[in-house]
Amino acid sequence: MLCDLHLPKINPNMTSAIVECVYADPGTLLKAGDKLFDLSVDLSSGYSQYCPPISYFRVVVRERVWLQKLFVKAGDSCDVGEILALFSSEQAEPLDAAPARPIRVANAGIAHHQGLWSANHQ
Amino acid sequence: MTTIPSMTTIPLTLGPLIAEGFVIKRSGVYWLCEDGHHCRPNEVVAYCNIGLERLARQRSGVLPMADEQELQVAFATPCAGYLRIDAGKSPGGYLNAYGLHTWQTDDVLAHLELDPDQTSLIANAGRLALLFVAGRRMSGLADVDIGFLPGWHSRSRAWWSDQSNSLMTLLCLGICDAAGLIRGNRVPFIEFFEGSTGSTQLVYIPDHPLVPCAPILLEQLLRTNADKQAIAADIAAGLAGSRTPASADDWLFAGALLSSLEHSPIVDSYDILTPMGLQRQGPADAVLLSLSAETQSVLRHKKLGYSLQMLRHRQAAAGPAVRAWLTSAFEPVKRTIDDIRHDYRRLIEAVASKTGARVMILNRMSSSGFEDILSYAPFDAPLRETLENIAAKEMNLMLHDLADECEFSIIDVDSIAAYLGGAEHLPDGIHHSGAMQAMLRAQIFDIIRGSAPPSPQSGNFELNRKISHSV
Repeated sequence: MLCDLHLPKINPNMTSAIVECVYADPGTLLKAGDKLFDLSVDLSSGYSQYCPPISYFRVVVRERVWLQKLFVKAGDSCDVGEILALFSSEQAEPLDAAPARPIRVANAGIAHHQGLWSANHQ
Repeated sequence: MTTIPSMTTIPLTLGPLIAEGFVIKRSGVYWLCEDGHHCRPNEVVAYCNIGLERLARQRSGVLPMADEQELQVAFATPCAGYLRIDAGKSPGGYLNAYGLHTWQTDDVLAHLELDPDQTSLIANAGRLALLFVAGRRMSGLADVDIGFLPGWHSRSRAWWSDQSNSLMTLLCLGICDAAGLIRGNRVPFIEFFEGSTGSTQLVYIPDHPLVPCAPILLEQLLRTNADKQAIAADIAAGLAGSRTPASADDWLFAGALLSSLEHSPIVDSYDILTPMGLQRQGPADAVLLSLSAETQSVLRHKKLGYSLQMLRHRQAAAGPAVRAWLTSAFEPVKRTIDDIRHDYRRLIEAVASKTGARVMILNRMSSSGFEDILSYAPFDAPLRETLENIAAKEMNLMLHDLADECEFSIIDVDSIAAYLGGAEHLPDGIHHSGAMQAMLRAQIFDIIRGSAPPSPQSGNFELNRKISHSV
């Protein structure tokens, strides 16, 4: 069975997010609790005249899955609903079928850290 | 047959304003609303620039408020009604900006057609309420000459003119969460003052270039002239010796930084214009701080030992030479929660000793509707260094522990956010909605008026009262 992950609307005011960290590579088996992405959400949409209302979130998987495809890398800006990754329940599984459902994940607000893409590129 | 109530119209006059030894000059009037606007009581509707001109043969010595190159007065309607703006008070162009008019008590700026239920207030209605604003420019070059309190200020303040006998000064030394409450987000200071006719002066210090966290505020308070000279020499040497030539951004940033390092707003005094004359106010009676300003690390100067902390988006304003100097001359020093508690205790004790001011601290929102954590196992320990909400909870608890050691008041952002709904009213954990700001201002009013006990739990008591009233 294939599952996918689209950028969730973590905050009702957000329209996009920046991928700050990618913690897994395609072909990896992920178990519940593994880190997948760190994201930053800027509610000012980068309109930086004022103190930017930026929050950081970590996306953690909540089930055992194989990461098959990544559609983003650190530094990419994504719109809400845009596909981030494709997963499968078995390692060798045809990837041409339609995903059966979204992957189960947890989102958590995190502190800024030096591993973030924006900490090193802005 | 319908009876049309007769309309009572009153003139709105400037009212008295005195500065002994000076003539008070004013500019033309800038209206913030249209003719015919329906005004609320206490609504700010216009403003003008003012200045003090020495009387003939007394033109020597230092002018009061000479360091505050922005000095303006805003006019508020004393009661509700329809505003009728008198013609000829606003010549326009530069003639509106310059102080070409002498302040006259009986000058009429407009008329007010009183609402029927306001006619009983006629005896007190004829004078405009005067709200003064003053700004100390970060640089004399920052002279934006259009608007209400325009420009880049290292300090700005506001006070009602008619309550000055018992004026209480509240100094804001926070980041965005505090700035929005005190300086507001619409017109500077207006939101706070339209909610209160109380005898308060508000003073706002910006959170740039330095973040006003406890160690920085304490060092500002204790810094000697020799310390200041050493810091200035080090900054100059750092920029001059930089491998990357210092740019205009570097020098501007360094100047603002030096200005912040050399000055402690906590011990500032204030000149006040009032209907009774010029008055001198001592240091602030209360200081408002943000727990959100207490970061988990600060920069420490390797040689001179002083602290720096800047918001990330502010550091982007520095040029390459300042950034190189920050990297080479400073080292990051981690702060545990106990370190932060210790810094707060030293600051609160030093403020009490130097000025006797009461300290208020805005705590942090510690929950989020955007999370769906089912287990903490995936997150690295210690959790406070990974998860924002755990950090906020531990910091909020630290404030309560600190209350056993020294006296201060907590403004309970956490409770109010939980009550109103954080997703709608505090979506990023730091920038409040207008409704949330109004509730937080009410807590501050209660504490500075002494109607709430100055204990750390006062915020919760007040919130409970407001919730019970509103349900």
